Amino acid sequence: MVKYLLSLCVSIIVIGCSEKNANDTTTTNDVVTLTYWPAPNPQEVQLANVIVKDWNRLHPTIQVKMQPIPVSQSTEEVLLAAIAGRTTPDVCSNIWPGALAEFTRLGGLVDVDRFSDFDSAITSRTPNDLVESLRDPNGHFYQMPWKTNPVMMFYNKRLFEVSGVPNVPRTYSEFFASAKKITRDIDGDGQTDVWMGERDIRPIWWQRWFDYYCFYIAASNGKTFFVNGEPNLDQAASSKVLEFFRTCYSENFFPHTFFQGGDLFLLERKATNFAGPWQIATLQTMAPNLRYGVAPIPVPDNHQGPVYTYGDYKNIAIFSTTKHPKEAWEFVKFLVQAKYDLMLLEIANQIPIRSDLLSNPLFADYFKKNPMMIEFAQQAVYTRSVDAAPDLKEIFDAISQEYEASAVYGRKSPIEATQSAQKRIKVIVDWNK
Amino acid sequence: MKQIIKYSLLILGAVIFAYPFLWMFAASLKPEIEIGGFSLWSSNFSFKNYEQVFARIPIARAFFNSVLVSSITTLSVVVFGSMIGYALARLNFRGRNALYYLILFTMMIPFQITLIPQYVLMVKLGITDSYLALIAPTMISTLGIVMFRQFFMSIPQALIDAARIDGCSDFKIIFAVIWPLSRPVVITVAILSFMASWNEVLWPIIVVRERTLMTLPQIVTLFTIGGQAEALLGLQLAAATLLALPIIIAYSFFQRYFIDSMVSSGVKG
Amino acid sequence: MKKYKVKYDRSAYLLVLPYIIFFLMFVAYPLVFSLVLVFHRWDIVTPMQWVGLKNFERLINDPLFFKSIINTLTFLLIHIPLQITVALGFALLLNSKIKFRPVFRTIYFLPVVVSGVVVTILWQQLYSFDSGLLNKLLMVFGIPRIPWIVSPEMAMPSVAIMATWKNVGIYIIMFLVGLQNISAELYESSNMDGASRVQQFFSITLPLLNPTIVVVLVLSTIGGFSLFIEPYVLTGGGPMQSTLSAVLYIYNQAFYFNHMGYAATLGFIFAIVIFAVIMIQKKAVEMDPTV
Repeated sequence: MVKYLLSLCVSIIVIGCSEKNANDTTTTNDVVTLTYWPAPNPQEVQLANVIVKDWNRLHPTIQVKMQPIPVSQSTEEVLLAAIAGRTTPDVCSNIWPGALAEFTRLGGLVDVDRFSDFDSAITSRTPNDLVESLRDPNGHFYQMPWKTNPVMMFYNKRLFEVSGVPNVPRTYSEFFASAKKITRDIDGDGQTDVWMGERDIRPIWWQRWFDYYCFYIAASNGKTFFVNGEPNLDQAASSKVLEFFRTCYSENFFPHTFFQGGDLFLLERKATNFAGPWQIATLQTMAPNLRYGVAPIPVPDNHQGPVYTYGDYKNIAIFSTTKHPKEAWEFVKFLVQAKYDLMLLEIANQIPIRSDLLSNPLFADYFKKNPMMIEFAQQAVYTRSVDAAPDLKEIFDAISQEYEASAVYGRKSPIEATQSAQKRIKVIVDWNK
Repeated sequence: MKQIIKYSLLILGAVIFAYPFLWMFAASLKPEIEIGGFSLWSSNFSFKNYEQVFARIPIARAFFNSVLVSSITTLSVVVFGSMIGYALARLNFRGRNALYYLILFTMMIPFQITLIPQYVLMVKLGITDSYLALIAPTMISTLGIVMFRQFFMSIPQALIDAARIDGCSDFKIIFAVIWPLSRPVVITVAILSFMASWNEVLWPIIVVRERTLMTLPQIVTLFTIGGQAEALLGLQLAAATLLALPIIIAYSFFQRYFIDSMVSSGVKG
Repeated sequence: MKKYKVKYDRSAYLLVLPYIIFFLMFVAYPLVFSLVLVFHRWDIVTPMQWVGLKNFERLINDPLFFKSIINTLTFLLIHIPLQITVALGFALLLNSKIKFRPVFRTIYFLPVVVSGVVVTILWQQLYSFDSGLLNKLLMVFGIPRIPWIVSPEMAMPSVAIMATWKNVGIYIIMFLVGLQNISAELYESSNMDGASRVQQFFSITLPLLNPTIVVVLVLSTIGGFSLFIEPYVLTGGGPMQSTLSAVLYIYNQAFYFNHMGYAATLGFIFAIVIFAVIMIQKKAVEMDPTV
């Protein structure tokens, strides 16, 4: 009996020992180890490697271990599971503000305004009007603003030229007019080979940032889904956007399929692409000969005023599982130094959130060499993020379903879909109250 | 004439079931632009897609994880299964029938109902992101117990009595006397549990988020649907081939056992 | 005569102890806990909130819940008849006097052993509208292309076809075993009665294969309600939620939206639905005089 129980214990211990918890923050010989999760794309991993190497050289007693966020369908899903399982890292630099409210509600994050130098750290870098919008409803701050990626329209200059379209479309009608010329069957086999645009039509909630949501912000002159904490969808703007995409699909300007074989924009099989400046990094490495430009997101024909868009903000947060909040905070401040902001531009083509971006001489040389990035930096002023609602993922999921039914498959009128979306947002918010 | 129709149908069936795999293997060696064709041959065959897969995901580590997890699970299912099966078949104890009915009842519970609470249990025990979480819920298979029990009932009592008189413990009886006589059922249960564990995706996706602990099917799944394959079909097919190959090789050696086990599990289960 | 005394083997308790521990941890606790969860709202981190029957109230107002059940039934309605027909067809072919039977058997069984992930990645290409092999094949014969997985109407049937391709090998062998167990004398005596081949098939073969058909029904039903990896990889549940399966919906509620209570409620109700469907099927098969 004893022997048997012992062997059972031994086998469990053996299994138990072989498990490796990479997120463990261990202190050995007075060396503090921090785990840092950057976004898993190659550019940001490269940047993280540089920063972590510098940090570890300068701080022999506080060593940082870099590990890209585990792949999954979305970062938010991974972080949520990590909070539940208490396997979060000390620091993560890919926090979508839309998920923040949920993470803080779960007590997953450290309030960074507890550190005495928080005010100076944030105000020295972040534009003043933005700072307040980052405050949690409970009054505290849980994030260090890091970067923003305004979503704009990339267009393939060659495809526009060969189709005889001289100007980049600014409005929906202009977009359709260009699309009629550009969408074509080139080899004459009866199938379209070049499209005006293409979007991932699978019902993945965050894909809507790059079609419905950025167009909605543009069409509504910078509105989001909530007003004063209450759901308030701009019905007119939403309907117009759905109508726009509905036309794109029904007129076959956008294909109804999802493609394999790589990105259609890189293959020059679609003329436009709605993306953030990170697309430039991909284009440079994967298609260096492709001639392209960027333009604001198209807007309804009678649009007045500047064109707003979705700014895909990604911020830095410290998780409450950390045993070394002070050290983690030091690392966060280290991450947002001007010299690494320059590297963020150079390596990843992403826009650091800095008030002095276009005035600081440190960045001047970069923008001179990369004039296209000036357009993104200028657009960054006219961006909106997402609302600080705990249920935002679910709301985007509901929107995604309405978008699919109305725009992609044309089974619901844009007005119907908008009303249904508004109703569903209310249900979600009420349920989760 | 009838024979010709018969054989053409049989061969058509063989093509339908086998050609996609051959095509997948060939396509994984082709450059991306050639993949769309039916041909199984290209003059541009190379291992570039595989090199990319190895560069982008820790697939070798995932292979190791899968082998480890599946082996421990299989061993555990066979060892515990035969212990419990033996007790139910050959020993007399209070509550034996009740226990057997309990096991039969457990077999009928759909996993949909226990999935979320089991995940919660892993969280409460603090063992998400560990091998233990991958292994523990499948360490015992009720189907395995039932199959062992069935088989052990047919073993002559005289053999067991003889071993008892020699002073053998129950453990010795199970593993030294009964096992050698029970090769078919041991192999069947082992193959079933190894395959189930090797091909499982849902549970690993739920309890493991840490890359270095991911199993092979899990990492291939996330590689395909997450952005890392960049919608490049060649890479996806190469990853899929790496996932399929070990089991196809095992199958080609032990096909009889595979077929018999899978079919018997269906009939009995 | 001495009174018979039952001798108990006390060591048996030691042998079954692992099962008791396993049962308590992975069966009893989850079952009890799921009963607790269905009355709560819970995000797994903060304390549970008692909500009474609100989860059920939400469920009956949730169009996606009903959609996922309809999707599963659609899957079963296509998958089961297809599976039985194809399996029986090949089993009859294999059961006749042919050479290379083991070779064919081995090949037909191949998709069964391969992981569902592999099969799904493979079929994603086959089903692709623009570059898929299936549509290319159709075009060779001058047939218009089919929007396999991008049309809300076609997507679930496509998943069912794929699942049939993957699983039919098992049922071919099962039917083959069943056919080989039918004694030749039965056919001989009915030959003398002047029954035709077709009559024999319906009066002898099919009724005697009834147990196998029940197995196909039950296993396919359980399989249909367990469908996860195929829609997860192939379509993400779309288009227009037409391939949203029961398990995928549970997964989304639990791990996307963190509604553990509601996800547990869904699991609970799905389990009841599975039982109900299987019971109905059993009754139907037992009552049907033709099978």
